[in-house]
Amino acid sequence: MKFVLVDQLVSLEPGKRIVMAKNVSMAEEYLADHFPGFPVLPGVMMLEAAIQAAAWLVRVESNFAHSLVVLKEARGVRYGTFVAPGNTLVITAEAVEIAAGRSDFKIKGAVNGNNAIQARIELAHVNLAATDPAMQPIDRNVITALKERWQTILQHSPVTLPA
Amino acid sequence: MPMTQEEVFAKVKEVLTTALAVDDDEVTSQAKLSEDLGAESIDYLDIQFQLEKSFSIKIPKGELTPENLFTNPEYVQNGRMTPKGLAELKTRMPFADLTGFEADPDINKFRDVFTVDTLVKYVMTKVNT
Repeated sequence: MKFVLVDQLVSLEPGKRIVMAKNVSMAEEYLADHFPGFPVLPGVMMLEAAIQAAAWLVRVESNFAHSLVVLKEARGVRYGTFVAPGNTLVITAEAVEIAAGRSDFKIKGAVNGNNAIQARIELAHVNLAATDPAMQPIDRNVITALKERWQTILQHSPVTLPA
Repeated sequence: MPMTQEEVFAKVKEVLTTALAVDDDEVTSQAKLSEDLGAESIDYLDIQFQLEKSFSIKIPKGELTPENLFTNPEYVQNGRMTPKGLAELKTRMPFADLTGFEADPDINKFRDVFTVDTLVKYVMTKVNT
């Protein structure tokens, strides 16, 4: 299965803050083992949802300059309430800094206002072509796919962005 | 290889400070792995692995963290463990202090059973056989 862990864009302040929502469904395959008889979103998936939300803010800010926006370091990760099927996890990612090749965020995730996760994350922004110029077509294809995914997210979002 | 509880506690402390990136003084006997030390489910896997390495023991699946308890309707009803379930839990986890959980057997609070002391007592049964 593909780990697309953010479903909806709730709000976006360019370069500053993004809020996205993830709806947890009984149909998510990892829930069968986590835990049998007590399905809850794994904490690492909450963290991944937050990373994905922050990454979208970076991509919009950088105009999709990189094919990869990935986690470099997570610090001070603290978990709170469980997130179960039927819950919506609302992720808020606030940019501390967004530079060309890296960014730093404070993230929080909440269910009905109750804290589920908080952390400080550092992301790295990379293109494969930087280490191997022959990979440039792959970067291009990935970036195209990401732009399409973003358009899909914008379709059902209350947020309208300047073209 | 027989070990005293103090020796076991010292080594368990080392495992936890590394696995959970917490300070030494946070790892008290009564500290709850999840609530106090921030352990997440993936951390429990890491902790089990590190305990096996550190103490040269094998932790069979389901021995430290019991399985197939929540799926049994005789053991859990409406998100709470039944008296039958609690009795079963006691036999599966003789090393754990279940008084808190028995007082309020809400399965959302089950992970509070795992304190540092729970791990120490469990390891004691493995190294002192």
